[in-house]
Amino acid sequence: MSSAALSGTRRSNRRISRLIDGYRPLEGVYDELMDETGNPREHWGPVLDGLAEFSPAEIQRRFETADRHLKDSGVFYRVFDDPDGGERSWPLAHVPMVIPDTEWAELSQGLIQRANLLDMILDDVYGEGRLVQEGFLPAAVVAGNPEYVRALADVKVKDGRRLSFYSADIGRGPDGRWWVLQDRAQAPSGAGYALENRIALNRAFPDLRRTLNVERLAPFFQAYRAGLARLAGRPNARIGVWTPGALNETYFEHAYLARYLGLLLVEGADLVVDGDTVYVRTVEGLKRADVLLRRIDADFADPLELNANSYLGVPGLVQAIRAGNVSIANSLGSGFVEARALIAFLPSLAKHLLGEELKLPQVATWWCGQKSERAYVQSRLDELALAPAFPLTQPGLFAEGHVFGSDLDLADKANVLQTLERRGVDLVGQEVVHLSTTPVWKDGKLSPHPFTMRVFVASDGDGNYTVMPGGFCRVTDKEDARAVAMGQGVRSTDVWVISDSPVEPVSLIPQRDQTPVRRITGALPSRAADNLFWLGRYLERCEATLRIVRALDQRTTEAASGTSAVPVRRLVEMLVAWGAIPGPQLPSPAAFSAVPAQALTRFDVPGSALVLAQEARRTASVIRERFSRDAWRALEDLAARLQGEGEDERARGDAFERAERALRDVAAFSGLASENMNRMAGWLFLDMGRRIERAVATCRFCRAFADTNATPEMLDLLLDLADSQITYRARYILGAARAPVVDLVALDPANPRSVAFQVERILDHLRALPGGPTDGIKSKAEKAALRLAADFAVADPTAFDRSRFMVAEQALMAISDEIGARFFVRRKADMVEEGLA
Amino acid sequence: MRYDIRHVTAYTYGAPVPQARCVMHLLPTARASQTVSRSAVTIRPEPTWRRERTDAFGNDVIDVGFETPHDRLQIIATSSVEIASPDLPNPASTPTWEAVRAATLETMDLGRDSPVHGLFPSRHVPLVGSITSEAAAMFVANRPILEAALALTKKIKASYLYDPKATEISTPIVEAHRLRRGVCQDFAHIMIAGLRGLGLSAMYVSGYLRTIPAKGKERLEGADASHAWVSLWCGPQIGWVGLDPTNGIPAGTDHVVIAIGRDYADVAPVSGVILSSGKHDMSVAVDVLPIE
Repeated sequence: MSSAALSGTRRSNRRISRLIDGYRPLEGVYDELMDETGNPREHWGPVLDGLAEFSPAEIQRRFETADRHLKDSGVFYRVFDDPDGGERSWPLAHVPMVIPDTEWAELSQGLIQRANLLDMILDDVYGEGRLVQEGFLPAAVVAGNPEYVRALADVKVKDGRRLSFYSADIGRGPDGRWWVLQDRAQAPSGAGYALENRIALNRAFPDLRRTLNVERLAPFFQAYRAGLARLAGRPNARIGVWTPGALNETYFEHAYLARYLGLLLVEGADLVVDGDTVYVRTVEGLKRADVLLRRIDADFADPLELNANSYLGVPGLVQAIRAGNVSIANSLGSGFVEARALIAFLPSLAKHLLGEELKLPQVATWWCGQKSERAYVQSRLDELALAPAFPLTQPGLFAEGHVFGSDLDLADKANVLQTLERRGVDLVGQEVVHLSTTPVWKDGKLSPHPFTMRVFVASDGDGNYTVMPGGFCRVTDKEDARAVAMGQGVRSTDVWVISDSPVEPVSLIPQRDQTPVRRITGALPSRAADNLFWLGRYLERCEATLRIVRALDQRTTEAASGTSAVPVRRLVEMLVAWGAIPGPQLPSPAAFSAVPAQALTRFDVPGSALVLAQEARRTASVIRERFSRDAWRALEDLAARLQGEGEDERARGDAFERAERALRDVAAFSGLASENMNRMAGWLFLDMGRRIERAVATCRFCRAFADTNATPEMLDLLLDLADSQITYRARYILGAARAPVVDLVALDPANPRSVAFQVERILDHLRALPGGPTDGIKSKAEKAALRLAADFAVADPTAFDRSRFMVAEQALMAISDEIGARFFVRRKADMVEEGLA
Repeated sequence: MRYDIRHVTAYTYGAPVPQARCVMHLLPTARASQTVSRSAVTIRPEPTWRRERTDAFGNDVIDVGFETPHDRLQIIATSSVEIASPDLPNPASTPTWEAVRAATLETMDLGRDSPVHGLFPSRHVPLVGSITSEAAAMFVANRPILEAALALTKKIKASYLYDPKATEISTPIVEAHRLRRGVCQDFAHIMIAGLRGLGLSAMYVSGYLRTIPAKGKERLEGADASHAWVSLWCGPQIGWVGLDPTNGIPAGTDHVVIAIGRDYADVAPVSGVILSSGKHDMSVAVDVLPIE
């Protein structure tokens, strides 16, 4: 070895030792980074090397880059105990969890075995029922499980797979082996978040991952998607991600997966069962749904046969499943295998069904519905954890899940002993597992924290299980290493499976020529069309309000320079009428100068720029999968910009500048939408919403400032509001005169801000929509738009007065209503009426 | 006893309903204690499709769908049923309730008559500490199960007031328990909750009760009613025994069984989802006519 290389190694060693100096694993606890002798484990070497290249400040900066990436992508989860029902940003623990691929391969074998076993159990429980008849599974373990969906007993699934996506929470015990802590089979979440964590860390350490040969995640998702396509059993099948909606805690992930996998995101209200077949309501009518990737709990899936109180479900779905007309992944009732009671029987079931021992150890579990097991748990209460045998059967003490016998006071202990005696069926005893710790970046250095890891298994295109080479690691801020103490104060991090050989880059973009060319993607769901249309309207209304604010602010601050009172008053009137500031009385003229700031930022009125921006964001948030990251970001920026010190004195000076910047945010979104959205139905609805709103606003501006007796000052103001000053100046040398201004702002089909231009676009869009040109008969909306366009085409600007603008406004509203009636879900009619009897 | 039964349910909708799906538990099912010689359900308007099946508890179910607008719906269920006099064992010589509780867990059967279905909380029957405690007062150590259960049946009859205005279908049992008022459905749910809280298996029975007119009065048409009571598993030898907490008696030859489930949600006579923007009215008329 040359002396230069040697000194390089030494330098690196010195840096590494600085990094891990003071890193002390907890007493008696396995640590991922450091072995028993206090030296870093071999597979962490390259990661530490990589990190050691940077100063602590640089590491901090890079971790912040990762955080910013997550924030910019809008990664969030919803927190139910937050009084605002808020979206929280995703807390990243930064340092990845590192596992060598050899160890991972072994772990994968165990997970695949477990997925197969659980799938076989589901097959029996919902099929022949031999496990109970032959005594391998107590009948009460089946009957007591609320996820045992009796309505689907004896119902076959098309593919034979009831568990197409399985996940397990695992942890490493003191013996260094991975233990299964809990099975997830209902609708496991986390895979999408894992993907985002991966992207975030890549962003922070682009070189590190490449030099380290970290296994990629994309092939797993490819396999998963192929598995879903296989369930459909026909080419070009319609596959939906079925979400409970934007209020669900993991909605971000539903939208993210839909986008990433190229699937349709649907809610219950988008789906309808007609006869025995499931359809998606789209703007082109009902389209068959072949496969639903279910992110809704089984109980809520069908109000008719399951939980009658569910507003999220699809009436008749169970019947459609019985008829074999739809595949649900995971099948309804798959949550059955999540029950802790079942864990107790898995070792013997593995032997019986697979002829094998379980490859992965699991938490030792005793189901207290059995006499001797109950006696054992009663006698060892102080050493064990107690937990509900099934989800959600015992209120009170077990509401949080586990309790540790040793933590119980006398009263609780008496209570538990009585419950064990009366209803031991509801409880399991479990051994207490002490988790290993992994390094977390905290206060500028590494420190060990306990973690669990969620890992994912999917059924691929051939029906075989495949494991995601990575996972979703949850690190607790507490130092209590008991497995089950996970919960509050949790951060997440990526899991890197490190290979000795280079890793093939794969992305979800198809390779070579295996994908047939298709130009039309699936039909647009009616609900999405509805939201896109309203997003367009809110945004445009926000823009118009911003223009009024800008014009007003200019004129109130320049009052000394002699703007007359009438136009200013009209602007304020308009803001009151639009609900941007409180009404119905106008503020006193002395207070006019405070109006612009108020109209921007008041949150207690329906029409301030802030409220409109928030409405736009909310509307977009329920169809998030339809926007690029950048477009979403522009909407977030807009709302954030307008959020701020409401009636603060200082804000007044800012109003003009803030309105200007907000207008740029709106323009950024418009640009991104117009450049990046496919000119499909979705874009048409978004753009129609904007066009209608812009035409209405411009008509209102004309009514206020282009009456037959309008002063040049008012006409000048109208040119400002309609953003047509430059065109006007280019066309006319004279100052503002009524006929040319009305012609330019309202009637000129070549001016992209004119009413006529908007009407022409609306007409184009209506014609391009499904069912437009083909059925021969023009829709009501199209007829109304055609009439309006003709009106404008032949109009004489001198004769176009207030009443004509009023008529145009009403026609535009009627077109909006017609579009709603024709294409959108009839929300009211969708109300579920429970229990006729 | 033999009965001819006629059960008419009528809905009137405020606005035409374009689409509806219903699930009906209206056909009395043959059981050990009852023979069904004839049963039929007539529906007006004629549904677009109609299907019959048996549910997980052995009840006959009719599924129907309507895909044309209608503003009223009439469902007429008629049947002829013969009820055998129940062979009630001597309560004092039944096994202890603790022995029955242990036997419940040893069952290797998931079939319709298995006691495991009645052991766990269900949609309308959560386990409630105070309800369990009241039941526990009857179930002292080593008491014969039927003796204790009859005592509980009578206790509920004595300590609750029958009051149709006090509760609705959706009223939680905790509320009825607090009010000490309710109807047959509430009393059945409360008794089931108490029994399950002790680790016993109890099911909900939906059916009819023949009403005997007061002396000298004519029997009023349609005056009989749907009724609900409890079925308790009393061990492998005795099996299920019907107990009517509303009347404080064991179920007898006046009790006609339509369907059995974990609670009302499993066996609601008619449940459905309709596409509707308006209100609706419902009326029910039941006649249970004794023959000979």
